[in-house]
Amino acid sequence: MISVRGLVKDFRHWGRRLRALDGVDLEVRRGEVFGLLGANGAGKTTLIKVLLGLARPTEGEARVRGRDPRAASARIRVGYLPEGHRFPGYLTGEGTLRLFGRLAGLPERTLERRAAELLDLVGLADRARDRVGRYSKGMTQRLGLACALLDEPDVLFLDEPTDGVDPVGRRQIRDLLLATRATGTTIFINSHLLSEVERTCDRVAILHHGRVIRQGTVEGLTRPTQRFRLRLAADAPLPAEQLQAVGAAVSSSNGAFEVEVPDLETLNRLVDTLRAERLLIAEISPLRAALEDVFVEVVGEEEAR
Amino acid sequence: MKTWALIVDTWREALARYTLLGFALVSALFLLILTFALNLDIVDGSLAAGTLFGKALEFHHGAQAIDTVVVTGQSIFAGMLYVLGVFLAVFATGSQVPNLQTRGTVDLYLTRPITRTHLLLGRFLGAITLVTVNLLFLCGGVFVIISLKTGVWNPRFLVAMGLILVVFLSFLGFMYLVGVLSSSTPLSIMLPYALYMFSFPLAAHDHIAAAMDSRFWANVVHGLYWVLPKTAEVGRDLTGYVLGKATPTLLPLATTAAFGALCLAAAVVIFNRKSF
Repeated sequence: MISVRGLVKDFRHWGRRLRALDGVDLEVRRGEVFGLLGANGAGKTTLIKVLLGLARPTEGEARVRGRDPRAASARIRVGYLPEGHRFPGYLTGEGTLRLFGRLAGLPERTLERRAAELLDLVGLADRARDRVGRYSKGMTQRLGLACALLDEPDVLFLDEPTDGVDPVGRRQIRDLLLATRATGTTIFINSHLLSEVERTCDRVAILHHGRVIRQGTVEGLTRPTQRFRLRLAADAPLPAEQLQAVGAAVSSSNGAFEVEVPDLETLNRLVDTLRAERLLIAEISPLRAALEDVFVEVVGEEEAR
Repeated sequence: MKTWALIVDTWREALARYTLLGFALVSALFLLILTFALNLDIVDGSLAAGTLFGKALEFHHGAQAIDTVVVTGQSIFAGMLYVLGVFLAVFATGSQVPNLQTRGTVDLYLTRPITRTHLLLGRFLGAITLVTVNLLFLCGGVFVIISLKTGVWNPRFLVAMGLILVVFLSFLGFMYLVGVLSSSTPLSIMLPYALYMFSFPLAAHDHIAAAMDSRFWANVVHGLYWVLPKTAEVGRDLTGYVLGKATPTLLPLATTAAFGALCLAAAVVIFNRKSF
């Protein structure tokens, strides 16, 4: 659906060459939710702009549905929510969808139906006739999402979609994305909110100084650790000293315990100890490294080179 | 549909930013002054007396034939409107391209399935409709008021409006080029004004070049004259045409239009190649 081969993008600033993308290779499959991670200035937005024909690549090629994104026709049924977007403040929410729907070539009848549906979906139906200039940041973001979904896109590009949105709004946006994904839409998300990406994406790539330094499935990157979540029935106290004696490090958080063991043998000895104390185990589950931990580790390794 | 959407968007923007209102208000003020300040007393087809802002107009050669007075007056007004109309139109449309190129806004427009050329020319068309309607109001209003007050209907005055529009279009092309290159509204307004002023003395390019010591600089002056819009010549032709003493010559008008067309073409090419 989206393919990028040896992509290089240089910007010139007062005669100085700034390399924003340095030989990027990526492949995003149909129906996938793909997350592009990176610190500020890593080149995430530049990559999206090349994929949408907003910026010309210096070298290499980018294809969306097999076509050069610079051709206007390649952008049919491609949705985009830019970071820091600024809708014309003089338009109403409804007027905004009408303008961009007409520019997308939607027939009037379809446009009328889609605008009403989407305004309802993003919870802006009652503010549809207010000027966008009076919208809050979260409302503007939801309007942006509605605008990106106008022509029922095959591919949806989202640049920091939950930026400036409160937790409730974030959940709404996440639910909306999952519903959109269920229709078979390929979603490409740029974000530095790693917990959001972890919850939403199938695969991710980490971009650092314009290069992809790691990519894979979320499951694969957030590998299991030697840490386990342990919960006992009936809030029984944990015999911490006896567990330390078998070689497990114990800590508690939010009513559950986290134990770290050097190997599975130790974990089993820990279970034996608890059972010998006639404690009822309600849950033991392995903990995975959070995407944030993986990101920090991978970027740290790269910086150290 | 896409072109229509861009034209409507241009009007909405002009309305929201009060540029349309400003243009209309200045034009209305001009028309009101003309309506109430100028009073003419016509007897047997001749102008017997007249007042301007309540002050009596003096006629040194006795009663004037009203036709002569009207076309002379219209010629003066055409000259005034030539300056006022172009200045107002430049002011009303100067922010178009810089606003379009604003970061966060340009992305929304350019990621729709529409070519950049279509987008820019659609807005150009929007600006033309905006300025044409305003010029119709201003020049048409002056024409109607003078004609109703005097009973003399001189259609040449309306043709002058067409010439004003051609000169404005040339400057609009230049404004689009400046806007695409700089994304700056002040520059997009100031540079056309500067060019407008600069092109007036160039009408005397022969005299200026003759006064130059160096042949190189003389050629530069001649070159600038041929390349830049010929606002002085078009203005002179315009007032002469309204007076009925001259027919507009093609060369100044054609080179002025060519300058605008070249600037617009350059703006389109640069806009197409630009990374946002």
